[in-house]
Amino acid sequence: MAESNRASTRAPLPHELEINERDVARRKEFLEFREEDAATLRKLNDVAQKYADPVIEDLYRHFLSHEETQAFFRDPHVLERVKRLQKEYFLRLTQGDYGADYVANRLRIGTVHERINLAPKWYLGAYNFYLRAVAKWLQETFAKKPEDAFAAFLSLMKLVFLDIGLAMDTYIFARDSTMRKQQEAIRELSTPVLQIRERLLLLPIIGVIDSQRARLITGGLLEAIRANRAKVVVMDVTGVATIDSKVANHLLQTVMAARLMGATVIVSGLSPEVAQALVALGIDLTKLNTVGDLQGGIEQAERILGYRVVQTGTEPGSSQLPA
Amino acid sequence: MPVPILKQGDILIASIQAALSDQDLVRLQEELSERVGRSRARGVVIDLSALDVLDSFATRTMRNIAYTTRLRGAETVVVGIQPEVAFAMVQLGLTLEGVATALDLEEGCAMLRRETKSS
Repeated sequence: MAESNRASTRAPLPHELEINERDVARRKEFLEFREEDAATLRKLNDVAQKYADPVIEDLYRHFLSHEETQAFFRDPHVLERVKRLQKEYFLRLTQGDYGADYVANRLRIGTVHERINLAPKWYLGAYNFYLRAVAKWLQETFAKKPEDAFAAFLSLMKLVFLDIGLAMDTYIFARDSTMRKQQEAIRELSTPVLQIRERLLLLPIIGVIDSQRARLITGGLLEAIRANRAKVVVMDVTGVATIDSKVANHLLQTVMAARLMGATVIVSGLSPEVAQALVALGIDLTKLNTVGDLQGGIEQAERILGYRVVQTGTEPGSSQLPA
Repeated sequence: MPVPILKQGDILIASIQAALSDQDLVRLQEELSERVGRSRARGVVIDLSALDVLDSFATRTMRNIAYTTRLRGAETVVVGIQPEVAFAMVQLGLTLEGVATALDLEEGCAMLRRETKSS
């Protein structure tokens, strides 16, 4: 194994997946894929050459007979090309070189599958088909020595599981990057800090709060406190659907940091569900100054700042008797 | 580097201009608790606006100063903690519990005047 590793170190592994040579080595170790297995597989290469074409033909016949997988091979040119690539892969399984180059190739294939939307279930199904086909020809080839057939099959299974592991990682990675993009989009809907009175800021929080967003919110609020010389902040969480202990912690940190800058934070809009959840979780929010709704929050803030709101004259819409 | 302590009416103002060693902090604490009595001050303002970091020892000293001066008859307000410093502090769990804070020197003095007037 070591030799083949060294021989092909020139092919770099995809970095974004963070699969390095050490990681690949650990995977092989876990699968107990050893030098003997590589040697066993290498010995099968001649047999594999013989069976490659029929196995591939069978596999694609299988694909084409199922409607879900059929769709991927409508174009005859595509079909020819993937058959050729499939054969290359099939032979590669028994070529004894399972180093960085091999891994990079597997990762690339996995990425392509993800991109064309070939679901893991079909991908795994194809492996199942492969293993069954190989089991059959191993049985034929080693008819007199069934234990050899079994040993070869086990070695092949280790390698196949290595491949599946790599492919699954590319699937997961692709999904993760989609999720990351969406999270960025949410983050861009940033949280504004609004001044609604002299020295009074409003911080309406809407949506999901994670650590990174909490950091942005806190940072933005602290800057605004300095810039507006704010004394009171009303943090409205009506738009936050769920608060768990982590989010509660973030909110507490924001409140504490604002306090260090001399500003009082009033939290408003904790819904009944959220309030009950917080109590059930045993989160101590006694340090928070909480008020039922945004109106109450602003009223309390005005009291702290010494404002008194007085209604002047009559409301325009109300029908009052003429004096 | 010793911290200059200024007197303005019945308020003492300690303006920290550069990062202080632990020794400087201890000296500041001793000096303030002594000066509070000597100048019959009712309030102390510690201005940290020039600092870009505040560690756990400094935080504890600020609290000690506040508690000590309170025992000597003067309220302490810590002012001028910068946004970055405040953020770093809460991340480290340093919250200056029980110590009054204000945005800047002006606010701190106003706060002390309000309090001494009402008491």
